[in-house]
Amino acid sequence: MPVASNAKIIEISAECKACDHCSAICPTGAISGVLGQQHTIDAAHCVNCGQCLINCPFQAIHDLSRLDAVQAALADPRRYVVVQAAPAVRVALGEEFGLPPGANVKGQMFAALRSLKFDQIYDTEFAADLTILEEGTELIERILHSRGPLPQFTSCCPAWIKYAEDRYPRLLPHISTAKSPQQMFGAVAKTYAAQKLQVDPAQMVVVSIMPCTAKKYECARPEMIASGYQDVDIVLTTRELATLIKQSGIDFLGLPDQAADKLIGSSTGAATIFGVTGGVMEAALRTAYEVLSGEQLEKVEFRSVRGLAPVREAIVEIPVKALGKKVPVKVCIVTGLKYVDPVVLDVLAGRSPYHFIEVMNCPGGCINGGGQPIRRDF
Amino acid sequence: MSVLIEKSGLNRRQFLKGAGLLTATVVISGLLAKFGIKAFARSTAYIGQRAAGVYSLDEAMTIRRSHQNPEVLQLYQEFLSPGEVKPLSERAHHLLHTRYGSDIPALIADLKIHALHAA
Repeated sequence: MPVASNAKIIEISAECKACDHCSAICPTGAISGVLGQQHTIDAAHCVNCGQCLINCPFQAIHDLSRLDAVQAALADPRRYVVVQAAPAVRVALGEEFGLPPGANVKGQMFAALRSLKFDQIYDTEFAADLTILEEGTELIERILHSRGPLPQFTSCCPAWIKYAEDRYPRLLPHISTAKSPQQMFGAVAKTYAAQKLQVDPAQMVVVSIMPCTAKKYECARPEMIASGYQDVDIVLTTRELATLIKQSGIDFLGLPDQAADKLIGSSTGAATIFGVTGGVMEAALRTAYEVLSGEQLEKVEFRSVRGLAPVREAIVEIPVKALGKKVPVKVCIVTGLKYVDPVVLDVLAGRSPYHFIEVMNCPGGCINGGGQPIRRDF
Repeated sequence: MSVLIEKSGLNRRQFLKGAGLLTATVVISGLLAKFGIKAFARSTAYIGQRAAGVYSLDEAMTIRRSHQNPEVLQLYQEFLSPGEVKPLSERAHHLLHTRYGSDIPALIADLKIHALHAA
């Protein structure tokens, strides 16, 4: 069932018209081929983000399909198949069924997963909340108790992680050791949830629905086995879920609103905003502010970290109760890997002013991930 | 070349015109792309619309702070740090944290030893 971690996730097919648009899009320069010549992807430098795929004018770029693997698991009565769905899926899945971008189909999404006969329907947002507790506490430890270098970088985006590992080994101590929500979910599902449900984790299959093609690479990384098994077995993109729903003859738009199952299926608004650039930062600020100050925020919105500009910065004053004074927390958000190099070089040179930096590969964040519905509107 | 003189085929002039137009289209669109003039670029309005969808979902949630997620607190109380809510506990560290780059082989070795002890 696992895909070898060196499997090629993104490939350019023979339908390539050699227009060279993809090499202009690629954030890492992994695509080679001159104008008029079939292009190829260098797997060593590809971060599996799929931006070339969703931007190809000829739809000649494809990702490794895992539909067969999911269908086989669902059809096998010995398998206990657990599914999680990422925040960004629920505002884009509807587009595959004729709804406008941003339409909320959260309730229909959970209902469709139940119709597809997954054994438990959970939410990656549960694990996003868990990520905030771990990653936020790690940040507080670094700031207040000097446990680890600053600034701390986010670690949710597998394309960013691969890029940092490939290009900037010296930066790695700055990256939060917290796993991404997808991987936290898998590790918790095959331990805590398996115990509670009295299911043999060896028979449990964890499926993720992701807006992202790089998540297919992340789940197959050889170290993602904390549960004693491969923590997440199979990743489907938003597009693949739509295909599965259509193939099963489900009337998606006619489905009633349903909720995720209990145990590891609850979520909060802070987890929902993980799907958009600046969202991890805002979710972390909501928690850090209240934990450090001991006060309840009157308004939970931190509008200063929102927006679609590729690089944004903000200063948030947090009254830290333990110190009896206000601490200005300086944050930076990068969306689009093409823009990260200057920010990283400042950190390596020791002149970065920030405490916490969020990096997402895709412009706009996961809502514009390589696994999302493809739009050709001009 | 027979293709150029047959009645039903193209004459030399038509062939050159067609080939020239094709070449010009490929070269011009490629050059536009190279210099960042987005001949093939899509509208990106959908990104803002999906972002607005995310923010309105957030506003519709009854709980909007991660540290108030009841099932997350239960996971700590019952499993990650029994009896309390303590992020970065030993079990949380084992299940929820990772290492990067050249530290990965040592992490894999640790995880395999842990799995042996657990078995």
